[in-house]
Amino acid sequence: MNGDKRAQQVQQIIDYLVREVVGRSEVRISADMPLVSSGLIDSMALVNILLKLEDVTHMRIPAGKVQPKDMDTVDLMFATAQRVGKPRK
Amino acid sequence: MIQTLLWVLVATLLWVVAWTRRSSNARHSLLLLGSYVFYAGWGIGFLAVLVASSLLNYACGLALRRKPTLVRLWVGVGLNVLLLGLFKYLPPALSSGSGFLGHIVMPVGMSFWTFQGLSYLFDLYREEELDPSLLEFCLYMAFWPTVLAGPVCRLPNMLPQFRRAPVWDRDDISTGFSRIVLGVFMKIVLAQLLGAGLTRGAGVAAGFDQTRGGWGGLDVWLLAVGFGFQLFFDFAGYSHMVIGIARVFGIRLEENFDRPYFSLTPSVFWTRWHMSLSFWIRDYVFLPLAAMRREVWWPYVVFVLSMTLFGLWHAAKLTFILWGVYHGLLLVVHRVGQKLKRRISVPWADPVRGLLSWCATFSLVSLGWIFFRATDAGQAAVMLRAVVTPSQYGHSVLPGDSYVVVCLVVIAYFAYHGVVAILAAAKARYGEEVAGDAGAFGTASKMTTFGAATIVAVKALDFFGERLWWWAAPTIAVLMVSIGAAILRHNAAISVTPFMYTVF
Repeated sequence: MNGDKRAQQVQQIIDYLVREVVGRSEVRISADMPLVSSGLIDSMALVNILLKLEDVTHMRIPAGKVQPKDMDTVDLMFATAQRVGKPRK
Repeated sequence: MIQTLLWVLVATLLWVVAWTRRSSNARHSLLLLGSYVFYAGWGIGFLAVLVASSLLNYACGLALRRKPTLVRLWVGVGLNVLLLGLFKYLPPALSSGSGFLGHIVMPVGMSFWTFQGLSYLFDLYREEELDPSLLEFCLYMAFWPTVLAGPVCRLPNMLPQFRRAPVWDRDDISTGFSRIVLGVFMKIVLAQLLGAGLTRGAGVAAGFDQTRGGWGGLDVWLLAVGFGFQLFFDFAGYSHMVIGIARVFGIRLEENFDRPYFSLTPSVFWTRWHMSLSFWIRDYVFLPLAAMRREVWWPYVVFVLSMTLFGLWHAAKLTFILWGVYHGLLLVVHRVGQKLKRRISVPWADPVRGLLSWCATFSLVSLGWIFFRATDAGQAAVMLRAVVTPSQYGHSVLPGDSYVVVCLVVIAYFAYHGVVAILAAAKARYGEEVAGDAGAFGTASKMTTFGAATIVAVKALDFFGERLWWWAAPTIAVLMVSIGAAILRHNAAISVTPFMYTVF
């Protein structure tokens, strides 16, 4: 995948996390920062992030193939989308 | 009790021998034999069901490893549900008790190891790289410390530990024994004290089971809080023992409790109470279901469905279903409240908000225990009516002893954790002074008397903390003997009750 496009997608997810999940603009989130294991995002947020990830990557990600540990960092989220996602029809 | 200890002893001996074997096959065979000998102590028929379930899941796993399709997964899930239903849910449904099915007894721990088997199938469907041998998989299902009542293990955590060369680690052994002692204390002293009380009829169990009814509002609150703590000490105590036993052998199990009664919200409570099952439901039920549809209301429906399943997992009883639905609704209300909070700014300071949030969570979780413990839905309704009826607060049917024991244990629990938190904060603040060779007195002149006193206290606690067995062992022994003597002096007909969760 084009590096710039991936970087944009990563930034979109980080912006979404800061704005909608954490809700505090002063919080800095990096692509390798643990989110689930640190307790920053909970199960409800996980669902919303998974749906957002589908929108950003234009992929269908079967939730049955995903576990919270696969979504622990933004990098892992994209690796998971790559692993189990299928292009949207 | 003696028989149970005997089985534990045999299993432990076999395990100690197993740990001396270099060959992994020989070690796994002995570990499995120890586990089967232990489990057979509860009934040879139970062992047959466990073996059948292990073989069934292993076969389904082989099929999924070849091709992880949804159909193969559902066949495996269906067979597990069928087996569990046959032993757990069908016999109570046939209330007459007549016929072959009416006499089926559920193997102890079946709900726990069935869920372990299911998690293996789900993980394979997720294409997790798992390649257990039949021996390893049977050991995972029958692992004797957890076979009776969890924690619900996951193969990705257990398999590498089974395969690692055995080592006797001093830290593991020390931590393991500390946790066993802590667990015994929580079960034998605290849970027993709350459940049975100091005198006949003064315990939480008698308070719930008394037939004359007429509970006052305060009585119900006391029983709800008392039972919540009894269950906590019983199950968390059991979990400490099990995790401790495994740790002695160098195996680290999933944690099951993390100070749940300090939770500030219901959703945090469910990340701290019966964690191994709660995370199982989150990973394999809530997440896949909630992400299925995009409507805003859908995750809320899934919250209620998931928690209902949580309740139903305990038993096919209306009270457990109500308990699950109640907690599902609590989670929904909490989420809706969170959304509202973002729109409306609350002027209260953080500590006030935190305290109010804790009070609400603790009260609501405690009230939920009424559904969990009540004999039937009718009793739960009567007790909850007493809570919401102001005129019911004018009288009480419980003896004064009950109030004293429950209040003392609950206050002592919170006070203990409060002191630990204060000391940890003090240690963090005065860490450098505590670590310094000059000690507290060398720097005392530069700080307040309070600061110097805190350093001395932290140093003293560090000293005794490193020498836990000097004081913990005699203290616990004296405490257990004192409480035992107090119970006997009142001629209470009390025997140590089995672990509560072994019935699920």
